[in-house]
Amino acid sequence: MSDEVYSQLMKELSEGKYVFTGELEPEKAGDVEEPIKAARELVGLVTACNVTDNPQSFAYVSSLAAAYKIQLETGMECIYQLRCADRNRSALLSDILGAGVLGLKNILALTGDHVALGDTPDAKPVYDLDSTTLIALIRRVVDEGKDLAGNEIHNPPKLHVGAAAAPGAAVLKAEIAKVKRKIKVGAEFIQTQVVYKTEVLDRFFKELGKVDVPILVGIFPAKTYAQADFFDKYVAGVDVPPDYLQHMKETKAIKDKEKRKEEVDRVNIEFFTEFLEHLKDTPAAGCHIMAVGYPRIIPALKKVME
Amino acid sequence: MIAQEQKPIEEILGYLEGKQKVVVMGCGGCATFYHTGDKKAVRDMGERLRKEGKEVTEIVLPLGISACEIDMSSKFLEKKRKAVENADALLMMSCGDGAQVIADYIEKRIGATVAVVPANDALGLVGGGPKKFKETCQMCGQCELGKTVGICPLTACGKGLMNGPCGGVREDGKCEVDPEKDCAWVKIYERMEKLGELDKFTEMRDPHAWSRAKRPRLFEIEEPVKPVSAILGSLPSYLTLFTGPKYEEEE
Ligand code: SF4
Ligand code: SF4
Repeated sequence: MSDEVYSQLMKELSEGKYVFTGELEPEKAGDVEEPIKAARELVGLVTACNVTDNPQSFAYVSSLAAAYKIQLETGMECIYQLRCADRNRSALLSDILGAGVLGLKNILALTGDHVALGDTPDAKPVYDLDSTTLIALIRRVVDEGKDLAGNEIHNPPKLHVGAAAAPGAAVLKAEIAKVKRKIKVGAEFIQTQVVYKTEVLDRFFKELGKVDVPILVGIFPAKTYAQADFFDKYVAGVDVPPDYLQHMKETKAIKDKEKRKEEVDRVNIEFFTEFLEHLKDTPAAGCHIMAVGYPRIIPALKKVME
Repeated sequence: MIAQEQKPIEEILGYLEGKQKVVVMGCGGCATFYHTGDKKAVRDMGERLRKEGKEVTEIVLPLGISACEIDMSSKFLEKKRKAVENADALLMMSCGDGAQVIADYIEKRIGATVAVVPANDALGLVGGGPKKFKETCQMCGQCELGKTVGICPLTACGKGLMNGPCGGVREDGKCEVDPEKDCAWVKIYERMEKLGELDKFTEMRDPHAWSRAKRPRLFEIEEPVKPVSAILGSLPSYLTLFTGPKYEEEE
């Protein structure tokens, strides 16, 4: 792997700067107005934004097209998410090359939730590659100018590749071994699944030991009680602390909309100040803030880390 | 074995609409184990179709004679050659393989073209029994078991990953795709751990080579088995069945 840096994200990470990233979700629509609007609100608050690729296997605007448009129109650097669920290795290669052509610089390589769990459950699941072999493919394209079959690629793209990790994985030792495998094949940064509990994070870092790629810890300040409750109930490996959940629940009783917003912000700032203070004592290189459509909370979070 | 289930009768009747003379043929192989093509299934289907006013001819294959093994199954088909030649449809109570092997024989060797209709849905290559069966191999053509301590990553993993587990493993180590099933990659990890081979786990396994699954796959063997002598030759081994320990199915 070369030490060359192609993106702002990798530049800041390699300089040891504490990095914040955000998240943008293309929708089931014929345009990307919403994520562009959201990106504009995040400019200046985060270094780069992930653009999700059919999260939970709901089919939306292609993350490649969306990331290109967002980057072009808002200047926000994008981390293009790419899943193995819907594309075979040829289609993945085409999209990787396409990403280079469109000026994208970062890819987050994901396996992807099973298509049967999404909104088009009769679709044929692909999984020709998995997150590990997708990372290997991207590295091979960028570093060697070759695809998996060994075919030469003329003028290969300059891209960085990241991987996901699940600190709250039920079988942590298997997850740790897999994260190490992804680092071994060339992942250059890690973004974790959402974590709410500091003990979950501590156990993850302890088990992982020292690794030489930057890790951005996923956090999700919930804008509503329903969001927090969803994570707790339906997202594998994410446990929301009962106290936080309770405080969020109590905000539902506030009739006045403005007052409720204030109280939600207060609950989040209180909870995440403590969480981020704790984060300072971990090897985390930054924070991936997944709260979509909740940019007003970010300045307060960044202040904690200053 | 090929696990199978009979289709809803409405679907079958739909395919047979406008077809008056129907041959119903069973299978003495897998379809007999799944009660989807044994003697009783064929008789019941015959009766049901007669109630619909159809003229039915039944062909029952005895246990051990699979529809897909044409050398043997064709002998039973030939016995009803007249009915087959005059049939409007042949309802096959086997898997799709048996159905197509028989259809092919009828077309090429009997010289008739009959609409072949499936009575069953084939659900996969499974092992186990006598009551519970599990799909463990999808006959990919390039076996990976040597890299995964004997657990098929393509079949046992809900996503067919060569480098799992995915991020979706449930609290109790069950699979993201189906809470009833174990995560194959947790099982692979645990078995590697017991074998002291965890270094293999952190190694990347190359993507599976699908080129050996180019369909349809054709084969030829040099020396065909002679069914009758194979059966006779096996008799002494069958006798040991009565002397060995008894298998108990796990609950
Ligand atoms: S890898 Fe799996 S599907 Fe392929 S032959 Fe082996 S057991 Fe069967
Ligand atoms: S949970 Fe395990 S078995 Fe299920 S899809 Fe993920 S890796 Fe495969």
